[in-house]
Amino acid sequence: MNMHIFKPTLILVFLIGISACKKKDSNTYEVVDTNSYGDNLNKDKSKSNIEFHSILSTNLFQKPSSINELSRTDRVMQSCGDKTLINEVIISNYMNSANVKLPSRKMMTDSTERFIEETYIRFFIRRPTEAEKTWFTNFINANKSNPNFRPELVYTAFAASDEYMFY
Amino acid sequence: MKRREFVIKSATLAAGGMVLPYILPSGRLFARTNAPKADHVVFVMFGGGLRQQDSILKRYLADSQGYNVEGNILYNMLEGAAPASKIAYGITPSGQPNGSQPIPKILSQSLQKQGTIFQEMRAISGGHYGGWNSLITGSRVEGQGLKVRPMNPTIFEYARRFGGYKATDVWFIGNTISNSIPLLNSSKHPDFGLQYGGNFFAPGITFGSDGYAALSNAKIYHPQEELEPVYKMKNFLDNTFNIKKGDMPGIRNTDDEKTQIKEFIANTFQRQASGLLPMPPVSGGDGSTIGYAAEVLRVFKPKLLVVNLSNIDGCHSNFTGYLQAMHRADHAMGFLWNYIQTQIPEMSGKTIMTFAPECGRNLKHNPIQDENDWYGYDHGDSNSLRVFGGMVGQNVPSNLLIGNEANPIGKVTDMALTIADILGFKDEVKAAGLVDFESMSLFDRI
Repeated sequence: MNMHIFKPTLILVFLIGISACKKKDSNTYEVVDTNSYGDNLNKDKSKSNIEFHSILSTNLFQKPSSINELSRTDRVMQSCGDKTLINEVIISNYMNSANVKLPSRKMMTDSTERFIEETYIRFFIRRPTEAEKTWFTNFINANKSNPNFRPELVYTAFAASDEYMFY
Repeated sequence: MKRREFVIKSATLAAGGMVLPYILPSGRLFARTNAPKADHVVFVMFGGGLRQQDSILKRYLADSQGYNVEGNILYNMLEGAAPASKIAYGITPSGQPNGSQPIPKILSQSLQKQGTIFQEMRAISGGHYGGWNSLITGSRVEGQGLKVRPMNPTIFEYARRFGGYKATDVWFIGNTISNSIPLLNSSKHPDFGLQYGGNFFAPGITFGSDGYAALSNAKIYHPQEELEPVYKMKNFLDNTFNIKKGDMPGIRNTDDEKTQIKEFIANTFQRQASGLLPMPPVSGGDGSTIGYAAEVLRVFKPKLLVVNLSNIDGCHSNFTGYLQAMHRADHAMGFLWNYIQTQIPEMSGKTIMTFAPECGRNLKHNPIQDENDWYGYDHGDSNSLRVFGGMVGQNVPSNLLIGNEANPIGKVTDMALTIADILGFKDEVKAAGLVDFESMSLFDRI
């Protein structure tokens, strides 16, 4: 090769090499602590009677039912054609128990947003959407003057809802 | 009228004509195609499998155990003298031989005298579940699996879809939750299904010790101040969760119907504790099931109620118990018909009661002997297809016997069309094309 051509080419390759090999700044990605909850889009499997009441009693009493209680409840559910109806009766039967653990009415009315969020997470294993949060906030505020409106009724509605029957 | 205006108005009218039938509040698509014969139907699936020889043929022990003793042990249903000896079909007074005291007759006139009996009908299946399916759906049952809902629509779905009835107008009272009984209140047919299903109770469970523990302490919420907000919240939650109706595991009542049924459950426990439930004088087993059916009739006055009896099936291993169960079932039938006529004015004179078993029993006995050394009978042979049925009430010819051993008339699949005929939607059921093509309304067989 002609030296007149070779020298400039060598210099050009050297200069490109220096610029191309410039050390890149490294990026640092950090993890922010946050709880992860699903949405309701993928809940398409119906809970069995025993699954439903096992989860429900844990939600309401903070302890699981015995297998005898669950089998009995399963038989009762099979003995009625309207599952949502019989669930509601069983739920209200639970609500009459002294051992049911419910938030106070004060907590529901004073910390409404927190109450709604915790209720969604407790029953649906997800956070409410903004629309859901707004609807429930308005509903609870609208019922503040009704002395019979208490967390028990909200829990009953959640436990009797369609979404709670699926996972 | 301008051409454009004419076209718009014509199109609107045509569209309205097509859509209107679908939005009638009754849910009916069109007017009834035949005049109803009665306002209410009660259908008793009288059974568990009873042998033609021991029941309608009144042979008692003569065709089963080799004793020459004949007689009628179903004297509320059928005409004929009771057996004169070897009495074992009754109740057992203290210190007396088992079954030695017949239960007094309830009806002054037998159902045979008051109505029409089809003496020799044919069952479709020699088994229980196939038999129940043929009674409830009116279809032949080839391919029907156990532990699944019927393949073809049930009479409950026909009644709700074609009759426009609400869920509390249509009831199925089962005697158990085993043998797939709780699945018979609705089919899995895509054009019908749970949205048209009937309400169901198995009272032995719902109002037995299990139900008492799980349901009897339920709160009765105030309809406006408590229940209304609950249902508003639940409806909001359900609307944000769009599950398909077919995916829900049970039938659906409206909020008002739910409230009514909840009150019924609470009141039934109270009336049970106070001894106020309308039970046959000799109850227990099938008798209790009939008693709870009577309570549902008293409270809801449904258009259609189907009740299943099955104690008779003890015949597999206890022939004496089988005779007693048949006799008690006859007693319960007499009680139910009498109760409707005398205690429910809204249904008295406006009701037809029909009855038929799901199957018969074998011609030959099995090797199992009971306390009297009498042999048991299974079911499944051709003799198991021999059954009888009947109907009584408004517009039913009285004192009429149809068919005999030499001339069988009627099939168990006729029962669904008969109910549809009584309530006024027979042609729609036939047009759906899902019943046995040989089946007919029993009225058309007369």
